[in-house]
Amino acid sequence: MTSAISIEDLTKDFPLGFGHLKLRAVEDLSLEIADNQVFGLLGPNGSGKSTTIKVILGLLAPTRGTCGIFGTPSAEVSSRRDVGFLPEAPYFYRYLTGFELVRFFGRICQVEKSKLNDRVHEVIEWVGLKEAAHRRVGTYSKGMLQRIGLAQALVHDPRLVILDEPTAGVDPVGSAEISSLILKLKEQGKTIILCSHLLGQVEDICDRIAILNRGKLILEGELRDLVSKKDLRSVVVQDYREEYNDELAGWLQARESRLVSVEQPQYSLDRVFLEHVGRSELAREKLSERAEVAKQQDTASGKDNEEKKKSS
Amino acid sequence: MSKVVFSPARINIIAKNTFLEAVRQKFFGFLVIIALGIILSSQVFRDFNFGAPELKFIADFGFGAIVLFGSVLAIVATAQLFFSEIENKTAITILAKPIFRSEFIFGKFLGVSLLLLVFTGMMTVILSVLLFWRETAIMEGVDPEAFEAGRMVAYGDIFLYGIVQWLKFSILCGITMVVASFSNTNLYSVILSFVILLICHLQYLARDAWAQMEFLPVQLAVFMLSAVFPNFQLFNIGDQIALGESIPFELGARIIGYALIYIIVFNLLAVFSFRKREI
Ligand SMILES: Nc1ncnc2c1ncn2[C@@H]1O[C@H](COP(=O)(O)OP(=O)(O)O)[C@@H](O)[C@H]1O
Ligand SMILES: [Mg+2]
Repeated sequence: MTSAISIEDLTKDFPLGFGHLKLRAVEDLSLEIADNQVFGLLGPNGSGKSTTIKVILGLLAPTRGTCGIFGTPSAEVSSRRDVGFLPEAPYFYRYLTGFELVRFFGRICQVEKSKLNDRVHEVIEWVGLKEAAHRRVGTYSKGMLQRIGLAQALVHDPRLVILDEPTAGVDPVGSAEISSLILKLKEQGKTIILCSHLLGQVEDICDRIAILNRGKLILEGELRDLVSKKDLRSVVVQDYREEYNDELAGWLQARESRLVSVEQPQYSLDRVFLEHVGRSELAREKLSERAEVAKQQDTASGKDNEEKKKSS
Repeated sequence: MSKVVFSPARINIIAKNTFLEAVRQKFFGFLVIIALGIILSSQVFRDFNFGAPELKFIADFGFGAIVLFGSVLAIVATAQLFFSEIENKTAITILAKPIFRSEFIFGKFLGVSLLLLVFTGMMTVILSVLLFWRETAIMEGVDPEAFEAGRMVAYGDIFLYGIVQWLKFSILCGITMVVASFSNTNLYSVILSFVILLICHLQYLARDAWAQMEFLPVQLAVFMLSAVFPNFQLFNIGDQIALGESIPFELGARIIGYALIYIIVFNLLAVFSFRKREI
């Protein structure tokens, strides 16, 4: 199967005023992004994430290299047919209502006319803006702008969704909601590319990540491989007492394992915040996702080990 | 995956959106009010009791207001609507969709052109109503002898005048679109477009002055000048109308054809220069 996105040796220079001075925003980047996953494109500000996305979408011409979407080169308009894009810090026609805005983009993407209004209502409801649908976009808050931006990106039901900093400047409640929408998109079989520098948020939802720094790819891989300590496990016990420590260490030693530490698990500040501002469903959802991820991690790391054995 | 094909429907959507945005801007309303004010202010001179010549005065005044404010609107609205998309980054969202850049440019052009049509139409109607009203009053009161042959004002020609000016404004819109497609700021585009407007109005002077010269480079330069810049003097049919001459059909057709060619050429130039622009 073709990858959702393939980038080959991409370099992008911006001219800097006079003379031949150039700013290299992306350097020799090669990346394949497979279908149906959440892919995090991470890196500090100015590392070239947005530039890479713009080249993929044909908004910028590459200085060198090629890229394509589902096998079609980015230079062709057809490559953008199955793509939804939420730009960084989105700004839309202020004088349109949310409904009119999404409808406008739906028509640009040639959503069938008979289905258009239903579809627009559907996506607006889906991003949770039903009540505000008939207000002018100029009156929307930052979080609402991101949601309406998500709605316009999804109106034509694209296979690939590219989100540039979708949670920048959005409060934790809003961010958690956007995260849960992203996971739902993945369940629908879509590929999601998520640019962000907010690592805590992407950690919960990305399958695979790439880290850019000064335009160069410095790390790429499955998130769980990169962050989990493979040879360690933690065990969570109710009513534990410190005096068990010695006995437990002895028991483990007899089985050639070693007790490394006994710690008190902590909730993330995120979760405490979400619970106290009355969105405990979201907090719980988030926690169960974590458990889900952990489970997959176990089964998958077993698989990985086998694969590694095979290849070695 | 099927190919995306060039779509007039998408151009239409962009054009409508552009038109709506323009109409909702204060600038348009402001210009309409000022232009109306100027046309109506010709009534300040009513006390002088011109008689029949008053009608020519009103027509001249009205034509002048249409030309002046229409030109300003054509340049400022085009540049403003183009750069609001670039500066507010709404262009990023649109051009990341399956849409050709040519569709974007044509849509913008048609939206502004529609705006100019509405403006010119409104002004022409107001001017005609004013003329009709004064004509009736003069016919019945001040100067009945002058109207023995019936009404003097050729209302059909006033509308022809409106159409010809609208075409000229549309060329100007095309010129501004070309300028905007490669320049970085709104202000620069507006200034450069006004300079070009001036050249288009005055190029006939250069042509007249240099036409006799046999020196080849000069002839070549004159030829280039007149080919690249449309001759706006050609659209200046107000004098003839106001003098009561009517416009021969052939001349009208020639002007319309001339305008259409320039409109098409400038649109294609704008597309060509916008095609590779980095958004
Ligand atoms: N249009 C442009 N002209 C010049 N430099 C640019 C332009 N766009 C981005 N850059 C520069 O390219 C680098 C990468 O920017 P960007 O891709 O926006 O980073 P990120 O999205 O990772 O924060 C930055 O140093 C930025 O200043
Ligand atoms: Mg960015």
